[in-house]
Amino acid sequence: MNEERKDMLSADELFSFIDSDTIESEKIIAPRYSYWRSVFRVFFKKKSNWFLLGLFALLLICSFVIPLICPYDPNENVTKAATFNLSPAKAMAYFSGDGHPLKWILGTGSQGNSIFYGIWASARTSLMLAMICAAINMTVGIIAGALWGYSKRVDQFMLVVYNIIANVPYILLITVLVYVIGSGFWSFVFALTVTGWISIAYFFRTQVMIIRDREYSLASRCLGTPTLRIVNKNILPFLTSVIVTLLATELPSYIGMEVFLSYIGVGLSANVASLGRMIQEAQTSFITFPWAFWSPVAIASLISIILYVLGQNLADASDPRTHM
Amino acid sequence: MKKYLAKRIAFSVFSLLVVVLTVMVLVYSLIERSVIFQTDDTWNKRSNNDRTYYEYSQYQKYGYVDMSNFTSFLAQKYADVPNYTEDPSFKADRAVIQDPAKYEKNASVKEFIEKYTADGYEIQYLKPILFQNGSPKPGGSGYLLAVRERSMLARLGDYLKGLVTVETVNDVQDPTITERYVRWEKDPYSGFYARVGMGTNHKYQLYFDSRFPFIHQNKFHLNLGVSYTRFRGQQIVSVINQPRGNMKVTSQQFPAKLGTDEYADTAIDFHSLTWNYSELTADEKLNYPDKYTVATFRHGGLSMLENSFVIGLIATVLAYILGLLLGILVARRKDSWIDKLGMGAIIFFMAVPSLAYIFLFAAAGTRLFGLPYKFATAKVMALAYILPTISLAIPQTLSLMKWMRRYMIDQMNSDYVKFARAEGLSEQEIFRQHISRNAAIPIVHGIPASVLGCLTGAIITERVYAVPGVGSLLTNAINSHDNGIIIACTVFYTSLSVISLILGDLLMAKVDPRISFEEKAGR
Repeated sequence: MNEERKDMLSADELFSFIDSDTIESEKIIAPRYSYWRSVFRVFFKKKSNWFLLGLFALLLICSFVIPLICPYDPNENVTKAATFNLSPAKAMAYFSGDGHPLKWILGTGSQGNSIFYGIWASARTSLMLAMICAAINMTVGIIAGALWGYSKRVDQFMLVVYNIIANVPYILLITVLVYVIGSGFWSFVFALTVTGWISIAYFFRTQVMIIRDREYSLASRCLGTPTLRIVNKNILPFLTSVIVTLLATELPSYIGMEVFLSYIGVGLSANVASLGRMIQEAQTSFITFPWAFWSPVAIASLISIILYVLGQNLADASDPRTHM
Repeated sequence: MKKYLAKRIAFSVFSLLVVVLTVMVLVYSLIERSVIFQTDDTWNKRSNNDRTYYEYSQYQKYGYVDMSNFTSFLAQKYADVPNYTEDPSFKADRAVIQDPAKYEKNASVKEFIEKYTADGYEIQYLKPILFQNGSPKPGGSGYLLAVRERSMLARLGDYLKGLVTVETVNDVQDPTITERYVRWEKDPYSGFYARVGMGTNHKYQLYFDSRFPFIHQNKFHLNLGVSYTRFRGQQIVSVINQPRGNMKVTSQQFPAKLGTDEYADTAIDFHSLTWNYSELTADEKLNYPDKYTVATFRHGGLSMLENSFVIGLIATVLAYILGLLLGILVARRKDSWIDKLGMGAIIFFMAVPSLAYIFLFAAAGTRLFGLPYKFATAKVMALAYILPTISLAIPQTLSLMKWMRRYMIDQMNSDYVKFARAEGLSEQEIFRQHISRNAAIPIVHGIPASVLGCLTGAIITERVYAVPGVGSLLTNAINSHDNGIIIACTVFYTSLSVISLILGDLLMAKVDPRISFEEKAGR
């Protein structure tokens, strides 16, 4: 019925003219797009990321809060030989009266120290080391890399420097530096960052160079866009996912590096609790007293894997092509 | 190509020099030099002035200072006087430094001070330390020394000058040699021919034997310096090349007994004969036709370098075969369960500290398969190599697999593959002829680095399994403040990495004809 009536209506009744609106005509209608909101939307769509993030938050809270409430003292039982190398069950039985059942849940180390408190105090050191080193290396590396990639004059000079440093095995450099400048927390940070930024900068230089010469960048330049704006709007957004990918491999690598250096005997000094040192002290008897060895190994591995996987997933999410 | 190569090598040598100089400056100026005495028994036994003198002489030995003492100065001064040690004025001069009251007036002392002050030396007079009754305390006799600090550049220069030595026929200073030569001779110990020298330090300049790498030479010698504390005073090159284990005694003939039927059970390696500068014993005269009588012994075990190299090389070969095959497999079955499993393993090995998984292998290997854990406790030696080799091979395999997969997938999406498919080539052909070949090009670049890298040893693996290899050389040197080894390792590691980078580029250009190092005109 209705359709029939519509057919009978004339064109004038169906359509009406509207005035052209100059302000409206300038607007481009497109769905609202916020880069970071999309990144997090994609990131949190994966259920496993919620789980990993929760686990990581738990690890962070444990390693930064537990040492504050219950300070770790590796030498508290150093005079009581009966407390050395106790298995978890034995340690809990031995210290059943002291009111801290959790403290002995992972047994004791070779000096009667609490493994449980030890791994959290050490995890804090490792996390701090990883974060500080990554922050310094990434910041310096990215700024230097952007300059390096953008300026031809800087490039010529930096290539010579890079070729010299890249010839030296990284392990050699760090071990010699730690040997020479000492093994406190900050000298350790210095050793890991003094040349660590250069490989990041080199990697970044290549990326900047690739994008700098892309057609759309060239077009912007022809249209007279200022350099800073090109860097901010054309180049950096493209590199966000690259930066996050890099971060995902960098963060765990410092934890691994600390463990490695402590193991070979040039690690952090004895007064700093560290996973590497705990592993190194327990490694000779890792078959007879497995709890003292595997606990710090497990924490180091757990932190590394979580950081790595989270970083990789965030990097995937920060690639605009996944936002569709 | 040649021009490019020459440029590249020149730059590599330059960067090597910069690195070595930097490490020298770091190690020699920032590390307290007296740490070399921490474990020195001789230093512990000496006291007072004797100890100070010993310190200076050690500093001189390790290149920190130039030093001269008054006694050797006198020996030079009186060198013309026959039998000068009995000469009364020499005796008087020598005794004067034991008397602080008189010594400054002595003419020889004045001459000594004048001569060495002019050369920039600092004069050190260690006054005799005496008991109440006037007799010197133990080690308390006086010394007069002239000491001068050596500059870092001079040390670098000396080090580089001695780095490579070449044996010539005029090396042995001995008037009894009538004819000096190096020539091909039939080698009775190998059955082949060998370059035999007369007048060179080693008798055999080039020879073959049954020991890896089967051809050996004694003409060029690499001298990376001496160890300070860990192998006190030994040459580092001989430390890492010295075979270990029990002596290998076999029935052999001494050089003078060749052709007779006299055999002797001995472990002497007759290919290592060097010139004997002292008087030959009666035995030696019987057994050797010439004065090349000083030799090393054969050992049943491998040297530090060989241990590391054997383990590393087997692991590398395994890793390349398995890694490339697995990489191709997972790339072809992208997103299948086997691909996911592989990626999971890769994430595990990328993220977990290497120490953790090596111990995991050690625990699994010893518990499940009963393999020997520590190298030294192995009853069957071949079994001891299994766990370290696996521990090295698995992470390397996975890393190669990761890259091979990445490159394969990149190639699979490229236009030429689509074209090949359109042409009607079978998938098998496309993979074998086109994709794998192109994907392997970047992999080839890493081969020299992996192979030469075996010479530096694996630090953690060797420590965990107590492998007597070179991997622990640097770390042990750092723990025992052995600056000599640290410098040697720097030179050794850096040269290896420089060489492998150049070789990698060359190999890649060889495999891929599109890559050229010629500087193109018109750019």
